[in-house]
Amino acid sequence: MYLMDTLVFISIFALLSMSLNVEYGYTGLANFGKVAFFMAGAYTYAITISLGLPFYISLIMAALIPALIGGLVSLPALRLREDYLAIVTLAIGEILRIFVKAEQWLTGGVWGIAIPSIFGGLGLSIEMMALANVLFSWGIVIIIFVLLRLIINTPYGRVLLSIREDDIAVKTLGKNPILYKAQAFMLGSAIAGIAGGFFAQYIRYIDPYMFLPLLTFTVWVMLILGGTANHWGAVAGAMIVEMFNRGSRIAKDYLVLPFDPHNVQFILFGILIILFLLYRPYGLFREKPLKTGAEVEILKWQSSSSTK
Amino acid sequence: MAILVINEVSKSFGSLQVLKKISLEVQAGTITGLVGPNGSGKSTLLSTVFGLHKIDGGSVYFQDQPVTGLPPHRMYQKGIAFSFQIPRLFFQLTVLDNLLMAAREHIGTKFYGALFLRHRWQQQETQLVKKAGEILKMLNLFKLVNHKAGELSGGQRKLLEIGRVLMSDPAMIFLDEPAAGVNPVLSREIYQKLHLLCQKGLSILLVEHKLEMLLDFADYVYMMDSGQILLAGKPQAVISDPLFYQVYIGETKNAAVSS
Ligand SMILES: Nc1ncnc2c1ncn2[C@@H]1O[C@H](COP(=O)(O)OP(=O)(O)OP(=O)(O)O)[C@@H](O)[C@H]1O
Ligand SMILES: [Mg+2]
Repeated sequence: MYLMDTLVFISIFALLSMSLNVEYGYTGLANFGKVAFFMAGAYTYAITISLGLPFYISLIMAALIPALIGGLVSLPALRLREDYLAIVTLAIGEILRIFVKAEQWLTGGVWGIAIPSIFGGLGLSIEMMALANVLFSWGIVIIIFVLLRLIINTPYGRVLLSIREDDIAVKTLGKNPILYKAQAFMLGSAIAGIAGGFFAQYIRYIDPYMFLPLLTFTVWVMLILGGTANHWGAVAGAMIVEMFNRGSRIAKDYLVLPFDPHNVQFILFGILIILFLLYRPYGLFREKPLKTGAEVEILKWQSSSSTK
Repeated sequence: MAILVINEVSKSFGSLQVLKKISLEVQAGTITGLVGPNGSGKSTLLSTVFGLHKIDGGSVYFQDQPVTGLPPHRMYQKGIAFSFQIPRLFFQLTVLDNLLMAAREHIGTKFYGALFLRHRWQQQETQLVKKAGEILKMLNLFKLVNHKAGELSGGQRKLLEIGRVLMSDPAMIFLDEPAAGVNPVLSREIYQKLHLLCQKGLSILLVEHKLEMLLDFADYVYMMDSGQILLAGKPQAVISDPLFYQVYIGETKNAAVSS
């Protein structure tokens, strides 16, 4: 059961770090408010399901609402000055949490909301339900993973990467970086929202205290350790950090130490980050060149033109 | 017929007035050169007209349409391509991807097109790749086609920057010292290529310090000093003007003596 739970949490974090990868890894946008979009997804799911909507509609809403918030937040910030986005995202996490606490009629306030499981009424045993959750969440991970590969390995993905490299040069080549950045931000927020929606469904009860800034920090660490701008890196990072977190949580119960054992986790975490920065600064997986098909076509063209 | 008209354009950076009511014209199908001492405002003129800096005063017309203050991506859409004096490439992307980024009206660069019109953009890319290949062959960069742009040497980066401009099928291009850092034989070939393109209707406004290039290829030359146009005319006439010698050659000579 513990293993199943770990697997589900890894999948949720994998979605979150893939979502940050779209924003930061590919487009170069620093989002320091990931938790806000995760939370928006979770609450959207909880509220819409309580209105009696089927779970798949709720899950789609859990993607759309955070995407909408992402668009509303990022467009004005990007228009003002490009680096305002980092500050605005930092603020939005706090603002949203305060909103959720205050609007009790909608969100249950500090009391939280209970959410039925998708697999609730099916008469499954606890083990089967856990298994169903694992399969469902990893199904989502695989779908998003494939979808992101499809989106990135295109001329569109090429524009996103170019924006990360030099957005002024992109402007001189006829594309408006602000629009692309806002789109990337919305896409990232939608994925974070789906993660939140699934999380709500799985955990079956949410309250504002579950959505603290530490979550954003954890997702950043996952992405950077796994490797930015690499599809596998985001998933691997989530796996390593979540297993490490759980491992150190268990380990601390068996250690006798002259200080608060709760700190062991953070100390080990710090050491892990430092080791990575020293020996693998680009993360476990490195960025690969785009595969749009052009890289193959050009070689075909060369061999056909040189034989003429 | 003038394709580009720059009318009393001014630009200041803080208290430093870099462009003082500059007016000039580029005739369609010609190479028009800008020459002048370092820091005289040549690059600033190109980038301000292209919309990279906020324009402080004056107006700009391209193909008889007002384009004053348009942002760069709109200028590009109007048919102007811009190249930087110091190349601004996408270093983590391949040489090929750098070129393809410059393609015009590529369906695959839109979110919707990329996902749902896959077949169409792939066909488009097959065509674009051929064009990119031709450009890379001309620039001697073909062997590096699938290498990262960040691996290129200084001169090669400059060549790729020029290649990107050629990739976009523009009506007009702004080039800032296209021959800087490029070996003399190749830079002459590039100028010959540009000259050919001009005969097919392309118009060029370029900055160039190499007088022999201006003499051989420019149709008209403006000399700038401290944000103003001092001389204008045929390259031969401008370069043989005593004022040209005094401001441009004289200044560099004096500097060489005093240092
Ligand atoms: N972004 C900027 N901010 C502040 N000052 C600038 C900026 N760009 C240019 N300048 C100043 O404007 C003046 C003209 O610079 P510019 O680059 O246009 O000269 P240039 O004629 O292209 O010289 P060069 O031949 O050396 O390339 C210089 O004094 C420079 O310091
Ligand atoms: Mg210059």
